[in-house]
Amino acid sequence: MAPDVSCFLLALLCSASCEVIISLDQTCIEEEANKTYNCENLGLREIPDTLSNATEILDFSFNFLPAIQNRTFSRLINLTFLDLTRCQINWIHEDTFESHCQLSTLVLTGNPLIFMAETALKGPRTLKHLFLIQTGISNLEFIPVHNLENLESLYLGSNQISSIKFPKDFPTWNLKVLDFQNNAIRYLSREDMNSVESTNLSLNFNGNDIKGVEPGAFSSIVFQSLNFGGTSNLSVIFNGLQNSTIQSLWLGTFEDTSNQDISSSMLKGLCDMSVGSLNLQKNRFSDFTASTFQCFTRLWELDLTATHLEELPPGIEGMNLLKRLVLSGNKFDQLCQINAANFSSLTHLYIKGNKKKLHLGAACLEKLKNLQKLDLSHDDIEASDCCNPQLKGLIRLQSLNLSRNAPLGLQSQAFRECPRLEILDLAFTQLHVDASQSPFQDLHFLKVLNLSHCTLDTSNQHLLEGLADLRHLDFSGNSFQDRTIPKTNLLQTVGSVEILILSFCDLLSIDPQAFHSLGNISHIDLSHNSLTCNSIDSLSHLKGIYLNLAANSIGIIPAHLLPVLSQQSTINLSQNPLDCTCSNVNFLTWYRENLQKLEGLEGTVCANPPDLRGVELSAVQLSCGMTTLGIFFLIVFLFLFTILLIFAAQYVLRRKYQHI
Amino acid sequence: MKGFPAVLLIWTLISPSSSGGGSGEAWPTHVACRNGGLEVLYQSCDPLQDFGFSMDQCSKHLKSNLNIKFGIILRHDIKELFLDIALISKGSSILNFSYPICEEDQPKFSFCGRRKGEQIYYAGPVNNPGVDIPEGEYQVLLEVYTENRSIVACANATIICS
Repeated sequence: MAPDVSCFLLALLCSASCEVIISLDQTCIEEEANKTYNCENLGLREIPDTLSNATEILDFSFNFLPAIQNRTFSRLINLTFLDLTRCQINWIHEDTFESHCQLSTLVLTGNPLIFMAETALKGPRTLKHLFLIQTGISNLEFIPVHNLENLESLYLGSNQISSIKFPKDFPTWNLKVLDFQNNAIRYLSREDMNSVESTNLSLNFNGNDIKGVEPGAFSSIVFQSLNFGGTSNLSVIFNGLQNSTIQSLWLGTFEDTSNQDISSSMLKGLCDMSVGSLNLQKNRFSDFTASTFQCFTRLWELDLTATHLEELPPGIEGMNLLKRLVLSGNKFDQLCQINAANFSSLTHLYIKGNKKKLHLGAACLEKLKNLQKLDLSHDDIEASDCCNPQLKGLIRLQSLNLSRNAPLGLQSQAFRECPRLEILDLAFTQLHVDASQSPFQDLHFLKVLNLSHCTLDTSNQHLLEGLADLRHLDFSGNSFQDRTIPKTNLLQTVGSVEILILSFCDLLSIDPQAFHSLGNISHIDLSHNSLTCNSIDSLSHLKGIYLNLAANSIGIIPAHLLPVLSQQSTINLSQNPLDCTCSNVNFLTWYRENLQKLEGLEGTVCANPPDLRGVELSAVQLSCGMTTLGIFFLIVFLFLFTILLIFAAQYVLRRKYQHI
Repeated sequence: MKGFPAVLLIWTLISPSSSGGGSGEAWPTHVACRNGGLEVLYQSCDPLQDFGFSMDQCSKHLKSNLNIKFGIILRHDIKELFLDIALISKGSSILNFSYPICEEDQPKFSFCGRRKGEQIYYAGPVNNPGVDIPEGEYQVLLEVYTENRSIVACANATIICS
């Protein structure tokens, strides 16, 4: 029996040692040396010894700390950010953060708090951000008021709070953000509002169905932003906000909340308050006429995203302060249906993701002389001759987004109407450009051009002509004839480009002279092609650039190409079938010596020989002199050769002198 | 010492910590709905946690604007949230699509903007189009993720239509 018991003990010991190994396996991730650690999801019951005493930022979420007290974090006195999300904390005892003078952010989201001691938050000299989301709080008295004088943001979402009345001694004067999302607040009284002393506050009541506001509760208060998202009756809000001043008012609703339609008479309430920016997303209007807008005259921003609009009425007056208009996600047929002339001062217009095919018509935005930014992406726009008739009169336009639309046909000087364009995004919109046309001609100020996945004809040498100041060209996802960029190519006309993206172009090779006219390049992305080392020659005149060659077909890089790589500042060679045999030994040595220049080290692995497949290049050590076996055979061969020579000499001598 | 190998064998079989720390263990398969010739089964493919899901209505003629119930703990903030769906039948891919659920400039649902650590329960419509599901067995991979591709929920689902 005795041996069995000893065996069992041995097994137990072994099991204990196994557990040690496993717990060692689950250590925190050091994101910044001695400073930032991530210990998420490790089931830890205490701060591990492996953390440096100098830790400043600690994500300790999803661990297990039923009670936290003075000694729990006492070692980490430099903490500035502490995330204790969902650590099953029930108790926060006296003086838990006493020694943490620097702590400025404390996250306690999702903990079933039973009690916080009166001095629980004492210690930090500038505690600025406190997250008490979903901690079961039903009464604001629960939060210990001690040491909250510097508090700037207080997040109290998803609790059972029904009144926002703060206790008398609660220091609210520095608050900038007060978040009451998803609580049970039904009524806002004058007394409630008076308990908050700060001005320029951002107050969030999203997901509280407010049924009543005491008249005058918000009067003569200035707010940075107010959010009543998802409230079922907006009349209550409009009445309650009389005489208030609000920078940004969010009154949107959601797919899953049912609320009353907005009528023009409800919106009259806006005349009695001062609002800068108004969001009404996903609301439905019971009547939508020019009078709907009669109290919008002081707005500088109006967001009507997904408000089921088919047109905006003509004859709206007094909207000359409006600078930004968002009409995305609606159901317009024609661009002219927005009656742009109503909003002649607009600088920004967003109509993206229209639910119907949008027809641009002609000169629909002609009156928008000040328009600087226009977003018409995801609109299924189709035009055989774009874009001068459509964009007529937009002389100040700086940024145009036509990405993700149906095919567009571009002629020469297609953007002549918008000579001041600086950013043009045409990504994922098929472009038809006739041979030797230059659609971007005369865009002298254009700095950023996104032509990714436009199925362009890259044999057209004149395609990019006239872009004197272009800095950033995204040309990814277009294909080249014979899968090669030849010596004479369309990039020769854009000599000022600094950032060039040619990923996913299905390239096999690049002519050594192909980039010769590009002298200003600082960033070139050639990833996701089928390039081999031969194409590296085309970069020999470039110095100090960021070079991305990831996901290509580079196996061996011969010694004469290594100086080309050496002169660049950052190189990514990950996901290439790199050769780790002696035929690539020069490159392998270079790689180990230049690790500080390389990016994506963990993805840079050997493909050859089979026994090194998947091994990180930085871990490979080759000795490529002659192998021991080779030396052995050479010695044996030399030895045999010498013996043979001796025998031969003996034989010759014997033959020569045998007759003597 | 004859008993030693036997004890060791038993220990390796029963000891939970020796079987890879439980990491190989999969979440149970749940029934999202089973009725009217349609059966929808799912299994969480997020190694960190399971989630709960059910559909109010279950039939081969799937109505538009279905109501669902969904319960989960968030492991990331969901100011921006996206859904990827891949539908596979008999080993070949039929449909792939990506849909924005929450965007900064258009939070479609009331839960948009909620934070890491919050427990979410959603019972409401999903704004789907109506479809008649042809008979057969389908594999569906659903992935819900944030703007930096952190997984919020992941499900391997099987739809059996008979």
